[in-house]
Amino acid sequence: MIMEPLIPLYVILPLGAAFLIPVIGRLIKGFQKTITSLVFLFLLGLSIKFIISGINEPLSYRIGGWEPVAGIPIAIYFILDGLSIFMLCIVNLIAFLSGFYAISYIKKFTAENNFYALFSLMVAGMNGVILTGDLFNLFVFLEIAVIASYALVAFGIEKEELEASFKYQVLGGLASLLILFSIGLLYWNTKTLNIADIATIVKTGAYNKILIFSQLVLLAGFGLKAAIIPFHAWLPDAHSSAPSPISSMLSGVLIKAIGIYAIIRLFFNMFAISHEVALTLTTLGVLSMVIGSLLAIGQWDIKRMLAYSSISQVGYIIMGIGIGLLILTTNGNKTIAALSIFGGLFHLVNHAVFKGLLFLSAGAVEHRTGIRDLNKLGGLSGKMPITSSSSLIASLAISGIPPFNGFFSKLVIIIAAIQGQFYWLAGIAIVISIITLAYFLKLQKNTFYGDVKNKIDNIKEVPFTMCFSMIVLAILCVCLSLLIIPGIREAVIEPVVNTLINKANYLLILSEI
Amino acid sequence: MDHIQLDTLYLPVITAIIFVPILAGIVLFIFPEKIKTVKGIISLIIAAPVLYFSYDIFAQKNMAGKVSLMDGITIKSQVINAWLEGVGKYTAINIDNLSKLITLLIGFFGLIIVIYSLVYINKAKGIRNYYPYVLITLGSSFGAVLADNLILFVIFWGILAITCYKLIKGYDEESSAAAKKTLVIIGASDGLMLLGIGIIWKISGSINMSELSITTTDAIRNLAFITLLIASFAKAGAIPFHTWIPDYVKKAPASSSAYLPASLDKLLGIYFLARICNDVFILNQWLTLVIIIIGVSTIIIAVMMALIQHNYKKLLGYHAVSQVGYMVTGLGLGTPLGIIGGLFHMMNHALYKSGLFLVAGSIEKRTGKEDLDDISGLSKAMPLTFLTGLVFALSISGIPPLNGFASKWTIYQGIIDFGKTPGVANQLWIIWLSLAVIGSALTLASFIKFISGAFLGRRREELKNVREVSIAMWFPKVVLALICVGFGVFATNFVIPKTFIPIAGDFQYVGAWNSTTISLLILISIVLGIIIYLAGNIKNFRVDDSFVGGETFREQTGFASTEFYKTISNYKLFSFIYRKAEEKWFDIYDLSKNIILWFNKKISLAHNGVLSNYAIWILAGLIIMLIFLI
Repeated sequence: MIMEPLIPLYVILPLGAAFLIPVIGRLIKGFQKTITSLVFLFLLGLSIKFIISGINEPLSYRIGGWEPVAGIPIAIYFILDGLSIFMLCIVNLIAFLSGFYAISYIKKFTAENNFYALFSLMVAGMNGVILTGDLFNLFVFLEIAVIASYALVAFGIEKEELEASFKYQVLGGLASLLILFSIGLLYWNTKTLNIADIATIVKTGAYNKILIFSQLVLLAGFGLKAAIIPFHAWLPDAHSSAPSPISSMLSGVLIKAIGIYAIIRLFFNMFAISHEVALTLTTLGVLSMVIGSLLAIGQWDIKRMLAYSSISQVGYIIMGIGIGLLILTTNGNKTIAALSIFGGLFHLVNHAVFKGLLFLSAGAVEHRTGIRDLNKLGGLSGKMPITSSSSLIASLAISGIPPFNGFFSKLVIIIAAIQGQFYWLAGIAIVISIITLAYFLKLQKNTFYGDVKNKIDNIKEVPFTMCFSMIVLAILCVCLSLLIIPGIREAVIEPVVNTLINKANYLLILSEI
Repeated sequence: MDHIQLDTLYLPVITAIIFVPILAGIVLFIFPEKIKTVKGIISLIIAAPVLYFSYDIFAQKNMAGKVSLMDGITIKSQVINAWLEGVGKYTAINIDNLSKLITLLIGFFGLIIVIYSLVYINKAKGIRNYYPYVLITLGSSFGAVLADNLILFVIFWGILAITCYKLIKGYDEESSAAAKKTLVIIGASDGLMLLGIGIIWKISGSINMSELSITTTDAIRNLAFITLLIASFAKAGAIPFHTWIPDYVKKAPASSSAYLPASLDKLLGIYFLARICNDVFILNQWLTLVIIIIGVSTIIIAVMMALIQHNYKKLLGYHAVSQVGYMVTGLGLGTPLGIIGGLFHMMNHALYKSGLFLVAGSIEKRTGKEDLDDISGLSKAMPLTFLTGLVFALSISGIPPLNGFASKWTIYQGIIDFGKTPGVANQLWIIWLSLAVIGSALTLASFIKFISGAFLGRRREELKNVREVSIAMWFPKVVLALICVGFGVFATNFVIPKTFIPIAGDFQYVGAWNSTTISLLILISIVLGIIIYLAGNIKNFRVDDSFVGGETFREQTGFASTEFYKTISNYKLFSFIYRKAEEKWFDIYDLSKNIILWFNKKISLAHNGVLSNYAIWILAGLIIMLIFLI
């Protein structure tokens, strides 16, 4: 086990920023904006450095330096392996860009300090969830992240925002309850909270109904956080009511960091998954994919449409990973399983980028016009060229039109599904992709094409910081396509897939205890 | 066909004609819209050598074979080399006689359209970034035609869908709806192709078109074929995936219509159809039957729709669909004669249909009107436009000795020839033949409407200041018209033997036809006719106003030639069908839209915002999972 002293920075820096901002931010003007941007930029750079140097075996950090007693890990471990560095990179990328975007956007709200403090707190929570190797610690960080997000959703403190935040809190509370309940069951059953430690015990243990039960309760709990159907109902309200940079964080990374990441990590690395559970996961993924897009196509509120589309796209990710899991549990071809998981993860990073961008550009439209209703918008392409072209790129990317990144991740998922002989799933994925194209073109048509409505005649492009974030994400939409190139794939995503397929790799962290 | 190793000297040329236009297009995005003319000239500077090089590739008779685009690239850096390892397989391109021909045609149309656009695309037409998209289209079309790897092909295919979407300006509700519909249909075809490619990869382990030869024996192989077939139909515009074309051309600038739906999309769609029917798959007789049925019904249905149109651009759009029927039928036959007929018709159609759109664009530019009812008598004002328009119209209607006749004749011969061999579709050859001929007659009928409506009759008062268009706009039309005549006259002696027999193989004509001899005879008869006319009749010729049912002829009265076609649309059975068609009953796009929106309504009902319901769903979901698994 290799110790890496830089790991805690992922939590300490944003957490520190969150506490410093309300204090120093009052005294120094512009402190909050500068510090958050710098923190996330630094963390992004750090993640990229880790990715480039390559992580062959997990790095770890023992909080408090507690030595293990009699081979039992006592300290809380932070573990940095292929999957976590991949997620950290995405989270901090979107956090940096959303934070930078917010510099101009948030001027219309009064409490800038609170905004950035909550923002940093949310990111600290997400980074913690991704890094921690301890089940209860995961729950704590998860609560930090979601409680910050409850407050951020309600940031506008209008009737609509407060209602959305209330629903989000009630249902989120339900999810936390389920997760905590399941963690309790596991602790009772295995007498430990360290994920790797549980994994060794679970592996040797026989078929256990309590284990299956706790798996399903966890699936429901994290499924709620990831907004998988039928646990999705809070998402459209919450994601559409939040300020746009926050929507982009929530849809782009929060549901992935505390929902999908947790599911993947626990189901691949901790539990010994049975075929039935894999089937359940895949079914939920397909359901989300289909129903989410069928709901999205009828929406007339830009951000609600994007929110529903997140449900659908999360379905793609879950389906890709679920197919991989299904193939693994039936002892199928490991290459195909790896391909399918690669597709799911590829779609995860892509979705973070293009959904983040879509919310940012929707925010730009709202910032200038104050309108979110598609019926009242129109003809903005001439007035806001950067917003309109970046939004178009994101729309085409999410609909799977080449040469943008979404095309390639969908391609991989579909090819993996066919190779694994899930012809129906491949067919459904394609039909849904066509529906996705239809509603994103509806968004384009009603926002940027057509007549300029009288009320919104007099507008111009958004300020620099907003444009900058959108342009960077739009470029990423094109450049991430390069991940499909076999050599680059091996360097970047293959380590992630390996962490998931080779469970033993994760258990290495226990080896030298 | 034995592949001769591709000369590596040509690899840079091939790479260049694909990527130079694309990169130039991307660079042109950066420059401001104000220097549109400069951008146009830069495009011209790029399009002209590209045409030269595509001709150069075409002219290398012995050059054929497969090569990877990556072969031409040598990179010093070890890291980048390691990254790019394994990419070569996905960038395979294939040069054979078919792709060489299409390459030449793409280069040709690219140049023609750029020249025409120099004057046509002005501020009023203001599509943002028109030239960048034109250039990207050009490069991507080359890429699609030359690609051997299906994924590479799909990528270029998808880029073309985007440029098509961006080459129409969404200035009002109708035009933005047309743009959306176009991208939805082509994008959907792109998605379906992925399913086909996935299946092909699964069953044969390769996705290079030249390595494939798949028998259509079981359901899954048939499915793969059908997905690819739908893609080619959606691009080329065969029924039932054609509905974007009439909407698109009605609202798009004429140069965009001439460029994509009329020429490049046809070339690519039919190219891909030829590839999948002849190289990638081995068709069974039922699939052949399906393709031919779609072909002939495309001919008839689209031409019937064209007959009732008043908007001349939309009329041309329906013809752009109808003519695809001939190509599909020809290629569906699968015999050398049929394939040659289909490909020849594809080439001819691209020539005269883009010509017709350029004519339409010229009329629109000078008159500002889009309806046949509002224009008349332009022949004197715009003589070159009239003459070229006449050539194109006669050509599309299949009047000898023009090229449209030559290719239709080849297809008819192909159908007769096809009837001699056993098979389900073969038994019914007489039906296919008669429908194809009827379609041609109806085409003539609707083009009489176009020509007489726009050019003949009395010129309207408000059109008296109309002048001929400038050289950049008439020159492309004249070139196209001359080629139309040339290909028609020299069809059997030069064009078919030199160009198409290398692609499809040799054959024997069923009937005798020598285009040059016949053309000479026609020419002689016309000359004789003129002599007789001049010699005998010139003095006795009487000029009078047209007879309008005994009423006094008023100066401002013009004939709306569209009125004559009301008979058809008023006929009881037809009027019902036409009404339903206008209500989009037969439009696959609107049909599926309605189905999906119905589902949406049902599911949305459940999302009523009541918190307790949502909580119940969660618990219900958890309980169902528990019941199933414990």
